[in-house]
Amino acid sequence: MTAMIKIEGVHKRFGTNEVLRGIDLEVRTGEVCCVLGPSGSGKSTLLRCVNHLEKVNAGRISVDGRLIGYQQRGSKLYELREKEIAAQRRDIGMVFQRFNLFPHFTALENVMEGPVQVLGKSRAAVKARAQELLDRVGLGDRGGAYPVQLSGGQQQRVAIARALAMEPKVMLFDEPTSALDPELVGEVLDVMRDLARSGMTMMVVTHEIGFAREVGDSLVFMDGGVVVESGPPREVIANPQHERTKAFLSKVL
Amino acid sequence: MSKELNPDPAPSSPEAQAPMTVVPVRHPWRWVAVAVLAVLTAQFVHLAATNPAFDWPFMIDNAFRPPVIEGLLKGTLAGTVIAMTIGIVVGVIVAIMRLSPNPVLSGAAWVFTWVFRAMPRVVLIILFAGLGTLWKRIEFGLPFDEQLGWLFGIEDFRARLFGFDAHTVLTAFVAGMLALGLSEAAYMAEIVRAGIQSVDEGQGEAASALGMTRGQILRRIVLPQAMRVIIPPTGNETIAMLKDTSLLAFAPLTVELFYQLSAVGHRTFNVFPMLIAAALYYLFLASVLMVFQYFLERKFSAGRVRGVQR
Ligand SMILES: Nc1ncnc2c1ncn2[C@@H]1O[C@H](COP(=O)(O)OP(=O)(O)O)[C@@H](O)[C@H]1O
Ligand SMILES: [Mg+2]
Repeated sequence: MTAMIKIEGVHKRFGTNEVLRGIDLEVRTGEVCCVLGPSGSGKSTLLRCVNHLEKVNAGRISVDGRLIGYQQRGSKLYELREKEIAAQRRDIGMVFQRFNLFPHFTALENVMEGPVQVLGKSRAAVKARAQELLDRVGLGDRGGAYPVQLSGGQQQRVAIARALAMEPKVMLFDEPTSALDPELVGEVLDVMRDLARSGMTMMVVTHEIGFAREVGDSLVFMDGGVVVESGPPREVIANPQHERTKAFLSKVL
Repeated sequence: MSKELNPDPAPSSPEAQAPMTVVPVRHPWRWVAVAVLAVLTAQFVHLAATNPAFDWPFMIDNAFRPPVIEGLLKGTLAGTVIAMTIGIVVGVIVAIMRLSPNPVLSGAAWVFTWVFRAMPRVVLIILFAGLGTLWKRIEFGLPFDEQLGWLFGIEDFRARLFGFDAHTVLTAFVAGMLALGLSEAAYMAEIVRAGIQSVDEGQGEAASALGMTRGQILRRIVLPQAMRVIIPPTGNETIAMLKDTSLLAFAPLTVELFYQLSAVGHRTFNVFPMLIAAALYYLFLASVLMVFQYFLERKFSAGRVRGVQR
C-alpha cells in the first residue's frame, strides 16, 4: 500500500516556541493512525499543518502524492496561492474538538455548504446526498435542526457528515470526543469506527485508548514536539518502550 | 468558628414542611416614581393643550404642505437611504480592508477611518459642497499629465479621458450625500470590524477546511453571523443619520424636511409650532425605524435561540 499522508522532517515554531521539532510520519491508504500525547505536545498543530491551517517552518507534507501548500519546480518550492491551497483542502476533511458547525445553518445546510459553494454542485443534487450522509451518521430525522438544538454528540456527527460531503481522501480528527459528556462519546466513536471500516484513511488525535487499540492500525505517541514512539496500537499500549509513554499511559488507562 | 454554626441546617420543624406563601420583593419607590411622572405628564399635556404658543391648528395646516412633504421624501428620507447605503457599502469594504493581511490595504483603511471620524459632519458637508471652487471641471485621465508634459518639453500636454463640469455633477445634494455617506462609512467600518471579530475563529477554520476561499467564508459564514452584532448599532446609526440630514441645509440644500418646516415658521413669524412639528416628524420616523430594526434583529437571530425554527 502507498502512503496517503507523508510527513517528513516537519518543524513548526510559534515565535520562539518550537512546537514541532522534526516529525516524520506516514499513514498508508485506508489506514487509521491514532495520535496520543499529553496536552501541549503539538498534536493539534501537526494535524493543522496537514491541511495547511498552519504553515510549516521546515520539512514537507504530502497528501496522496501532492505536496501541501507548495509546488516543486526544479529544486525550488513555490508557495501556492490562497485559491490553490483552498482547492487542496477539498480532499482533506477535518473534524474539530469543538465541532465548529455553522450556527446560522440547519444540520442539512451545514452538510450541503461545502459541495454547493466549493464544488459548485446544484442544491438539488447535493440535498439528496447530504440527506444520505445524515442517515449514515444516524441523524436522518434531524436535518432541519439548528446546531444549538442538537446535543454535543449529534453536533459532532453532523460535523463528520459535513466533512464527508466533500468526499475527501483523508479525514483528520482533532480530539473529536474530548468536548463531549461521557455518555455521548460512544455514538461519535461508533460513526468513526464505521468510517474506518469503509476504508477511509484517518488520522485521529484522541485520548480514547480503547478506540486506538481496537480501530487503529498504527499508534503514534508524541511528547514535546517529537514522535517518542510508534507502532501497532496493541503492542505500544501493552508494552510501551519509553518512560514518557509509560507515564502517559498509566495516567489515561 | 464553624463549631458555632448549626451542624444540621436542614429544616426539620413541622412548619417547614407545610406549603409556604411566597412574598415577592416589594418596590414602593416605583409607585412614587409613577406618581411623579403622572403629574409631570398631566402638566405637560395641559400646557400643550392650553398655551397659545403651540397653535395646533396652524401647525396642522402647515405641516403637510407640498414643499414640506417634498422635503421629507426627497431630502430627509431619500437622503437617509442614500447616505446609509454609501455608508454601509463603503464601511464593509473598509472593514474588510482593515482586517486584510495586506499592510497597504489595512493602512489605507485606517487612514480613511481616522480622517472621516475626526471631521464634524457640518464641516464635511460645507467642504464637499465647496469642492467646486477647487476645480471648475473634474476630469479623469493620466495623473500629472501637464507636469509630465513639461518634463518632456511638450507645451500644454493633456491626457484626459472624460470629465464633468463640477457644478453640474457636484450639486448640493451629491456633495451632501458624499459627505454624510463617507462620514458614515468610517463609523460603519468600525461597527462591521467589531462584528467580524466577534465571530468565533473556529468558524473560519471549519470553512477553510472545507476548501472555501476567503471571500466565500466572509460572505457565507462570517458576515451573516456578524450581523447579530452589526445590526443594533447600525439601527442607531440610521436614526442618527435621519436626524443629520437636517445638516444638508449647509450644502445648501433646501429640499429637506427641517429646512422647509422652519422656513414656514420664519415666513409667518410663527416659529414655535413648526419646531414642534419637526420634533413630532422625527419622533414618528425614528419610531418606524425602530420597528423595522426589531424585525431585522429577529431574522438574524436564527440558530441563536433554541425556539426559532425556520
Ligand atoms: N496559534 C498559536 N500561537 C502560539 N502558540 C501556539 C498556537 N497554537 C498552539 N500553540 C502552542 O503550541 C503548543 C502545542 O499546542 P497544540 O498543538 O495545541 O498541542 P496539543 O494539541 O498536543 O495539546 C502549545 O504550547 C501551544 O501553546
Ligand atoms: Mg489539541
